[in-house]
Amino acid sequence: MTDAIFPQVRIVSTRLLRPDTVETLLNRLVQGGGIRRMSLNGPGIPATVPYGPARGQPNPHPDRKAIRVGDQDVQLQVQVGTIILELEDESYIPAIEEAVDDVFAEKGFSCTVQQGRYMKTQPSLSDYARYGPDADRDLLGLADPRRKDGLVIIQGTK
Amino acid sequence: MAYKPQYGPGTSIVAENRRKQMNPNQKLEKMRDVTDEDIVLILGHRAPGAAYPTAHPPLAEQQEPDCPIRKIVTPTEGAKAGDRVRYIQFTDSMFFAPCHPYQRTYTECYRFRGIDPGTLSGRQIVECRERDLEKYSKELITTELLDPARTGIRGATVHGHSLRLAENGMMFDMLQRSVLGEDGVVKYIKNQIGEPLDRAVAIGKPMDEKWLKDHTTIFHSLGGSAYRDDAEYIEYVQRIHTLRTKYGFLPKED
Repeated sequence: MTDAIFPQVRIVSTRLLRPDTVETLLNRLVQGGGIRRMSLNGPGIPATVPYGPARGQPNPHPDRKAIRVGDQDVQLQVQVGTIILELEDESYIPAIEEAVDDVFAEKGFSCTVQQGRYMKTQPSLSDYARYGPDADRDLLGLADPRRKDGLVIIQGTK
Repeated sequence: MAYKPQYGPGTSIVAENRRKQMNPNQKLEKMRDVTDEDIVLILGHRAPGAAYPTAHPPLAEQQEPDCPIRKIVTPTEGAKAGDRVRYIQFTDSMFFAPCHPYQRTYTECYRFRGIDPGTLSGRQIVECRERDLEKYSKELITTELLDPARTGIRGATVHGHSLRLAENGMMFDMLQRSVLGEDGVVKYIKNQIGEPLDRAVAIGKPMDEKWLKDHTTIFHSLGGSAYRDDAEYIEYVQRIHTLRTKYGFLPKED
């Protein structure tokens, strides 16, 4: 869960992004610092075919791959369309806007940085019913806390 | 005076395109060449060159009941041979795809025989006898009803019609059945249900934005022609809405 005192921004592009674009953008954001938590959103790319006659067969997809962010490998499971960030304070927002403008300058489509409230501040009744009283509060509202692979922690930005 | 179908209301380019696609007297523009074998590969119902599996003996070999309707209706080639019923399913992006589910169903009903279309919000399936299906699929794929980037041939896992496009302009497909090659040509590397193909099937280059906007049958207020700008269309839809609402109260005509 987030504390309401921390500002949040959402980076939304008009196209769904390729993994190498995401890698470039995230590395720029991480270098700028000031990010407490980050969530990558977009339509899921399953490892196996989920429906139909070919159900269960492997689903080779070039966009479902690991990217290098900071000092960590991040396994992408979605085609990234939106990036949600929780920041230390509002002073980091201009640097984020500048990084986004730089990365998307040559792309031929736009990307906006919006400020607002995009993460849950307290667990909902549905969260309680679904994940129980001991669910990881760092993940509630961002991802399924029952997932085994958990968070990726990118260190060394301070 | 002989009845002359109007196919649909509207004065906008979108309405005009819809009428053009529905009118069986209007020949659809051929955009690309795809071989019969390529179609069989994309459909994935049988191996190329294999015989058509049958659901019943050919009509000529079986005793038909004495039925007046059977005397009126000429069977299609597939029905005559007793083929199985198989399908093709399309997903059309909301970003100016040349066709969309309801439009596909209307178009197919006007143009093809012996079909059973199913219309959903994000996909449209058409079922018919296998041999007829291959013939109809060829027309659906090679003509202006399909754009390689904004239309997907997807038997299952169709998600993507309402999503943002990918960076290269392709519609999102979680199984990535079609890829845009370095040469700018879209190739199907999996069949419509997501099984990898032995060889890639090229279906041509994506159309440019101008062509798509000139040929789309989808109203889009951002960047295209807005539905509200077509007064005739609005009037027609409002008339249908009013009449069917009033009909619920069983009105009496004065």
